[in-house]
Amino acid sequence: MIADIASDLKVDSAMTLSKASAGCQLRIRQLAGSACQRLREIGFCEELEISKLSDGRNMICSVCGTRLALSKKLGDQVLVEMV
Amino acid sequence: MEIIALVGNPNSGKTTLFNALTGANQKTGNYPGVTVSRVSGVLRTPHGNKFELLDLPGCYSLTPKAPDERITRDVLLGDQQGSELPSAVVCVVDASNLERHLYLVLQVIDLGLPVVVALNKVDLAEKLGLRINVELLSEELGLPVVPCQANRGKGVLDLKHAMRHPLPHPSRRKWQASKQTESAIHDLTAKLESEGMQKPSAHAVHLLADAGYRGEDQPALDPSIQSLAVDLASVCAREGVSTEEEISQARTQWVQSICKVAARRQGVDAQAGGLTTSDKIDQVLLHPVWGWAFFVGLMFVVFWSIFSLSEYPMGWVEMGIDALKQGVSTLMPDGDVKDLVNDGVIGGVGSVVIFLPQILLLLFFIGLMETTGYMARAALLMDGVMSKVGLSGRAFLPLLSSYACAIPGIMATRSMDSAKQRLLTILIAPWMSCTARLPVYSLLIGMLLAGYGAAVQALVLGGIYGLGTVSALFAAWLLAPKVKGEEEVSHFLMELPSYSKPDVSFIVRHLVERAWSFLRKAGTVILGLCILLWALETYPKPKEGSPAADDPALALEQSYMGRMGHAIEPLVKPLGYDWRTGTALVAAFAAREVFNANLAISYSVEEADDEDKFLEQLRGKLAKATWPDGRKVYTPLTTMSLLVFFVYALQCLPTTVVVRRETGSWKWAIGQLVGMTAVAWLAAFTVYQVGSLLS
Repeated sequence: MIADIASDLKVDSAMTLSKASAGCQLRIRQLAGSACQRLREIGFCEELEISKLSDGRNMICSVCGTRLALSKKLGDQVLVEMV
Repeated sequence: MEIIALVGNPNSGKTTLFNALTGANQKTGNYPGVTVSRVSGVLRTPHGNKFELLDLPGCYSLTPKAPDERITRDVLLGDQQGSELPSAVVCVVDASNLERHLYLVLQVIDLGLPVVVALNKVDLAEKLGLRINVELLSEELGLPVVPCQANRGKGVLDLKHAMRHPLPHPSRRKWQASKQTESAIHDLTAKLESEGMQKPSAHAVHLLADAGYRGEDQPALDPSIQSLAVDLASVCAREGVSTEEEISQARTQWVQSICKVAARRQGVDAQAGGLTTSDKIDQVLLHPVWGWAFFVGLMFVVFWSIFSLSEYPMGWVEMGIDALKQGVSTLMPDGDVKDLVNDGVIGGVGSVVIFLPQILLLLFFIGLMETTGYMARAALLMDGVMSKVGLSGRAFLPLLSSYACAIPGIMATRSMDSAKQRLLTILIAPWMSCTARLPVYSLLIGMLLAGYGAAVQALVLGGIYGLGTVSALFAAWLLAPKVKGEEEVSHFLMELPSYSKPDVSFIVRHLVERAWSFLRKAGTVILGLCILLWALETYPKPKEGSPAADDPALALEQSYMGRMGHAIEPLVKPLGYDWRTGTALVAAFAAREVFNANLAISYSVEEADDEDKFLEQLRGKLAKATWPDGRKVYTPLTTMSLLVFFVYALQCLPTTVVVRRETGSWKWAIGQLVGMTAVAWLAAFTVYQVGSLLS
């Protein structure tokens, strides 16, 4: 019960990847949306640390050293927290 | 021969490893019914075993979005028509990206096939401070893991050793799902087993892990199995469990747990630390101003090279064709057979083969952009522009290829993950002016702007290319809401590989393959069409002694083709064309490049060795052509109307055949042909009639 509340609180404090500022180190908390599976397959997995390198219509993130470009709409489906 | 399949994520070094394992023993074909290339080679192990190594299209997972990814899944499940189930799988993993690439390995393990992991780019992983415990990784995965460096040939022999007989035992499924999902997998496996399906548990996991797989038409699966899978997934959903979500999450969790113990990041981490060289290059090449300046400059260089550098090889091809014709003329006696060989076969096929240098040059630049890593950046830049008309940046490569020839362009759409985007791109690709239109443009622009310099003519030519491109994008914008597809709009998601030196051997191999496939097409479909055109232009033969016997123009007028030209004159007259131009247009529907040659016969222009001289003579004849009432046929308005017609008309039967094959329906292929012809007619009509009213 307490663990669930703690987890909910963490998700509540999370922001979407689109909203995070460029240059930040982030940890993926949750994937929420229709493209979850596609995002997970390309490398955006829960608990993984990533960094957002640039912002814009399509943002660029570093995931395990690889640069991945994704649209804002997809970024909205990735919930992250600052590391 | 037993088959070993090679799978891996894009940019994992799969093709380099394939080349290292097979050397020159490769062959390229097609999977039945689709245009995805089937590349395979012979692999010999040090123990004397011989396997067919099958290079499957790169994919991030076995949950396909694009047609080429679907091939990978179907081959590995044994569902692909005409392809045997592989005896084993070599999974290529980029060691520097272990966390991302192991997901696919887990999916392959779930298939129940013997698997060997080729841990590629170990040098790069080390450089990035990633230490991988290979023994532990192998133990946890339950399969052989071979470290290698495919680009230097390191570890290739060890990999061959790992594929000796007996092949390694299949590993067991690593992850565990909830009780509900496990029970659904169990029930479905039992049903598949009772139906006698091969690899029942692999199919069961796939059916529950991919909603698309249980929903789409699968020739290898009984519909009752798919409906059982749908029922079981809905039962789980009612209990709050999404089988797809749960299985994909279980896999990623397992990957993370194994990476924690078997792969440790030490020292400088490129993702946490400063910018890499690629990032620094990207700061310029993806810059809102400098990035676009570079892109526009690059495109200018590409097109300038295609038009200027290709002159030399095109001249050589032309010389070869002329020499061949000369040889036939001296060796064969006069008659129908000689005419058929010279005019129908050599002349017809030659008029197509002459574009090979331009096509290869454009493909060379595309190869350079792909192997250096710039293509992904170009797609990213273009995404901003293309999204405004409902297309994604991924359409950039197919559309760029279409400037060479619509056929490779349309075939390049098979890597696009959205069915709707793919169809839209296929539908507009022929409006990118292909090289076959160039001789027609040269003839007409030369007539229209006879008094102007080369610079003005080049500018107008650029404008014509622009007209086609802008119209194509406008058409995409109009069609986007009408083309059915996924409800959810497909969003841009793309890996940006690190910049690297161009892989010249890959480019050369690709060019040879493309050239061979083009020549094969020229020797089959186009040869057939050329013979048909020749027959239509030659028969019925004029009677001996009749005026037409000595007058080729009159003979053409009386031929089947000439009759067709007369028959369609009422259709082309409102556009400003006479029956001769109409005849040439009918012939050009098989392939545009025959337009000039056909017009030359109609207007009795002698063939000349020099292309410029030939065009000059043809322009002279066209300028003198008159209607029966003495008015000139080729006024500037007629010429403009013809130019516009060529920009829009889909005059290429091979393209229509490829569109049918790629879309799987004649509806789209015929619709595109009729639609583009109608637009071409209307546009040419508007130019001519409005122009006539104004002048």
